[in-house]
Amino acid sequence: MIKVKKCFVAGIFCLIAITAGLFFNSVAYAKQEFIVGFDAEFPPYGYMDENGEYTGFDLDLADEVCKRRGWTLVKRPILWDSKDSELETGAISCIWNGFTMNGRESQYTWSTPYVDNSQVVIVKKDSGIEKLSDLAGKVLAVQTDSSALAALEGDDATDENKALAASLKNLQQVENYNSAFMNLESGMVDAIAMDIGVASYQLSTKDDTFIMLDERLSSEEYGIGFKLGNTELRDEVQTTLLEMLEDGTFESIAKKWGLEDSVCLSEEDTLNEASGAKVTKLSVAEIIKQLSSGIAATISVFVLTLLFSMPLGLLIATIRMSKFKLLEWIAKIYISIMRGTPLMLQLLVVFFAPYYVFKISTPYSYRFYATIIGFSLNYAAYFAEIYRSGIQSIPRGQREAAQIMGYNRSQTFFRIIFPQMVKRVLPPVTNEVITLVKDTSLAFVLSYTEMFTMAKQIAASQTSLFPLFVAGVFYYVFNFIVAFFMERIEKRLDYYR
Amino acid sequence: MSVLELKNIKKSFGNKVVLQDITLKVDEGEVVSIIGPSGSGKSTLLRCATFLEHIDNGSITYAGSEVVKKGTEGAVYPSKKEVQKACANFGLVFQNFNLFPHFSVLKNIADAPIVIQKRNKEEVYNEVRELLKKVGISDKENAYPCELSGGQQQRVAIARALALHPAMLYFDEPTSALDPEITAEILRVMKGLAAEKMTMVIVTHEIDFAKAVSDRVIFMDGGMVIEEGSPTDVIDNPKNERTKTFLTKLSV
Repeated sequence: MIKVKKCFVAGIFCLIAITAGLFFNSVAYAKQEFIVGFDAEFPPYGYMDENGEYTGFDLDLADEVCKRRGWTLVKRPILWDSKDSELETGAISCIWNGFTMNGRESQYTWSTPYVDNSQVVIVKKDSGIEKLSDLAGKVLAVQTDSSALAALEGDDATDENKALAASLKNLQQVENYNSAFMNLESGMVDAIAMDIGVASYQLSTKDDTFIMLDERLSSEEYGIGFKLGNTELRDEVQTTLLEMLEDGTFESIAKKWGLEDSVCLSEEDTLNEASGAKVTKLSVAEIIKQLSSGIAATISVFVLTLLFSMPLGLLIATIRMSKFKLLEWIAKIYISIMRGTPLMLQLLVVFFAPYYVFKISTPYSYRFYATIIGFSLNYAAYFAEIYRSGIQSIPRGQREAAQIMGYNRSQTFFRIIFPQMVKRVLPPVTNEVITLVKDTSLAFVLSYTEMFTMAKQIAASQTSLFPLFVAGVFYYVFNFIVAFFMERIEKRLDYYR
Repeated sequence: MSVLELKNIKKSFGNKVVLQDITLKVDEGEVVSIIGPSGSGKSTLLRCATFLEHIDNGSITYAGSEVVKKGTEGAVYPSKKEVQKACANFGLVFQNFNLFPHFSVLKNIADAPIVIQKRNKEEVYNEVRELLKKVGISDKENAYPCELSGGQQQRVAIARALALHPAMLYFDEPTSALDPEITAEILRVMKGLAAEKMTMVIVTHEIDFAKAVSDRVIFMDGGMVIEEGSPTDVIDNPKNERTKTFLTKLSV
């Protein structure tokens, strides 16, 4: 009993220390930050390079602007679907990431366009497709929610593009360009429609297997998007950008990224297809090294979630078994919602609810707390049901014997029922714990950069799925260790039946 | 003064009346056996007397203090704490032992005296060893229940009940889950307790045993006491037809 209490107290102190540490950490540098939100899987505009650093044309521009302004640049990779919420809550200062203005004119306060980007079509060299009209009856891949998709099917799509889309056998949406290219290479799709900048980058990394059609789907412009009405910050950035254009810095950065012909402030109009952004292939060791920084994040989500959800689950199980119908129903509804809705959605709710429901803006570090809170609330529901089944499986005679011997309710629970329950629930708990190891990758929806998010970013910059497999090996090893320890505990409790 | 006094105990499960109107008094040092066909309510009576079941009406008195009172709207129970206190008056030996599987034999017996009664650890351990000797398994103090035979487990259960120094012991069919040859061992232990003038209420199917150890035998059927008296009266010369039928059925 005393031992259990001591562990409990020690655990709580640890949590307080960790929480306090994270909090102060986030307060320490809160001034003069310019937070650029970007999709870290969008080279050459913003992505993770072979050293694990976020880099790209847009980030270089932002860096230069910050230097001139005396700001601290914070590069914040975000989940593209959450970009509006991130901007709304003030978690980021702007979206600067090959951000298409066309069709979004009234949703943001924009800088003037700085890149003219066209939507192009990539096909296999020997496919026989030479013009857009050759695509009739073929399968065309586009990235979900991309400009190419908007150009083909959006409200503002031209009649020619709509007709083209209608003539296709299928318009296949894919999650990222890596899988698009794999689809194309394997013949599952016949063509890919994408931004020219991205296309040039991708083509530079592949051998001569693919070609770009001369005809373009559309021409579009990139700008920097600020929160609607935030003209003050926009004007500051705009002024500095124009200064950079004047003294040639803008062009030299554009050249560095092979985008000198795409920037719309340059004199020439043609597009240089041979992009200058080169991909350095990483060795396995280098990939592992880069991923290892994400492992700490994965482990902290894992450990903290278990630390909170396991006791919380016990509390919920107790409420669920309460004699008071109202309490029982509250627990039942809680469990039903937590088990019945996607964890991903729950994470988003936890993250955005403070702002949208309570109008409280949260610091960037809340992302981490929200991840832990979301995971803990969800896993507690599963643990609660596992505990309940364990508690209810213990014969009634145990409780009756204890009652007659004078044990009170809490003594009966902690001395007699709980230790026996632990033994019984160990196998299903092990299942949950192993699932949690893999579920930590869901933290990406809150743009909390754990190992899998990092693997996806490396995969994007390497234009290869190999980093994902390396991540898979990590998960396997992690789970192997978890299973090993759970088995040890099971063996240790094997002394009685 | 009587150790236990049950007055007008009534108990139903839903529509089924299990105990009609039972009154029972047990004096100090007395051994009372309750016999009767299954479903006669004898186990339920025991569970009601030990507060494992709530009675519908009636009164339960231990050592002169009335714990459960008769009321116009049904039985009146005191607070949980009071009930828990009253539990110190008795011990209960279950049909299926109900030892704590995660505790060793020593801990099964010593835990409650140390944790609940807050007695000195060394003193309790010494007493437990004495008790184990008494029930004949002194070499098993470090074993776990799963390593013991049914008979050994039941002896531990008896020692466990005795370690709390109750004024009386209840036995709920203590040998029903055991093989016949092991039954004899347990009955011997109980006989020893009777010789020491331990107050006991025993629900049993062992008619010969009941006859040998009991000061009084109660025959129950249909939730009522049908016949009550000395073993010679009830078992050897039953007056009631139902008692006769029951006893003849057993002797076949």
